[in-house]
Amino acid sequence: MSGPEETDLPGGWEAATAEYVLGLLSEEETAAFEARLAQDRDLRQDVEAWEEYFATLTDPIAEVAPPPQVLRRAEAELFGRRSQPAWRQLLPYLLGAVTAAAIAWAVSFSGLLDTRDAPHLYADLETPSRGLVMLAHYAPDSGTFMVRRDAGDYPEDRSLEIWLIADEDSAPMSLGLVDREGLTEIPVPRAIARQIPGAAVAISEEPEGGSPTGQPTGPVLALGQMAPRG
Amino acid sequence: MTTPQAEIEDLIARIAMGDRAAFRLLYDRTAAKLFGVCLRVLDDRALAEEALQDVYCKIWARAGQYRVNGFSPMTWLITLARNAAVDRRRRRDAGTGRVTDPIDAADLIADPAPGPAQHAEARGEAQALASCMAELPPERAEMVRRAYLDGDTYAELATATGVKLNTVRTWLRRSLMQLRECLSR
Repeated sequence: MSGPEETDLPGGWEAATAEYVLGLLSEEETAAFEARLAQDRDLRQDVEAWEEYFATLTDPIAEVAPPPQVLRRAEAELFGRRSQPAWRQLLPYLLGAVTAAAIAWAVSFSGLLDTRDAPHLYADLETPSRGLVMLAHYAPDSGTFMVRRDAGDYPEDRSLEIWLIADEDSAPMSLGLVDREGLTEIPVPRAIARQIPGAAVAISEEPEGGSPTGQPTGPVLALGQMAPRG
Repeated sequence: MTTPQAEIEDLIARIAMGDRAAFRLLYDRTAAKLFGVCLRVLDDRALAEEALQDVYCKIWARAGQYRVNGFSPMTWLITLARNAAVDRRRRRDAGTGRVTDPIDAADLIADPAPGPAQHAEARGEAQALASCMAELPPERAEMVRRAYLDGDTYAELATATGVKLNTVRTWLRRSLMQLRECLSR
């Protein structure tokens, strides 16, 4: 390891400390310096002293109010989407196409949530990489949520779980598992049915029997938005 | 009475425990200063905004490592901002052969370090550094200032002075030793 003290430059570690604070050391020298810094309390105090002195060079710099999006982006990065799985980041785009509120409004307006006249809702659920093609279908007259698998194989020793995500801020709610064979039919209570218009539906691959945590744990294979067919 | 310094230390301590309200308060108190620093280094609004976002994400992640050391907590924040901005500046300029303005001793006399009179509330460290910088030959002081405020590398300082890199480094290290000796008086 070639530390700054092994060169014939003047100043040894003391000068290297100031160079470190100025960011003038090479990558290799920085690594050597930091290795020593981690164990040397005096060196750390020297670094802090240089930082304190050099920081005063910014005293004459005028304050400039940053635009509001900087805080928004920082908070989104820290508290928002970063802690969520990647598929959730697709939701705003998906749900943004037609807002959930707009669909819910159209649906309630057409039928005033009278289940007799409310339109049927559909979402295409496809995983091109696996050749999976499924259709989600909600029939409000019978209060039944259905999933039909039109193509692709059901993964062996695994279950496909159906999730309803009411809006961007809601946690996924399990509706049940896709049946291995035939049409999956799931009766939906009214409280949940109300949230279906405009909601996102996701299919995730889970351990056999469904997610052990109550939230999707496996890869999300498909994502769609429940909307009336024109 | 709470001093601004104690208030900022308190906010950093609360951020270390995951307090988002404290994070927002610290941002309100300090973002304008740190944005000024990023703009000074980068001279580019969009990049300065990105750097500032980096800085606050680092503050959130590293607040637990901050320890009260008797120095100003603003130093910790300014150092994070300066370093984030310099990183971005160097990435931007890597390989583009950024043209650095030549350092010419004749131009530097008219650009003195801010004296105590200009900063009635200047910290003791500010006065000490300013008077010790004034003891250096003007072009050496300018090199130190460039390295800190512009993030100039030795290669860039060599171009700016028309001197070989190793010579520049020797000069600057001597100057830093001289500064250190002066500051410890």
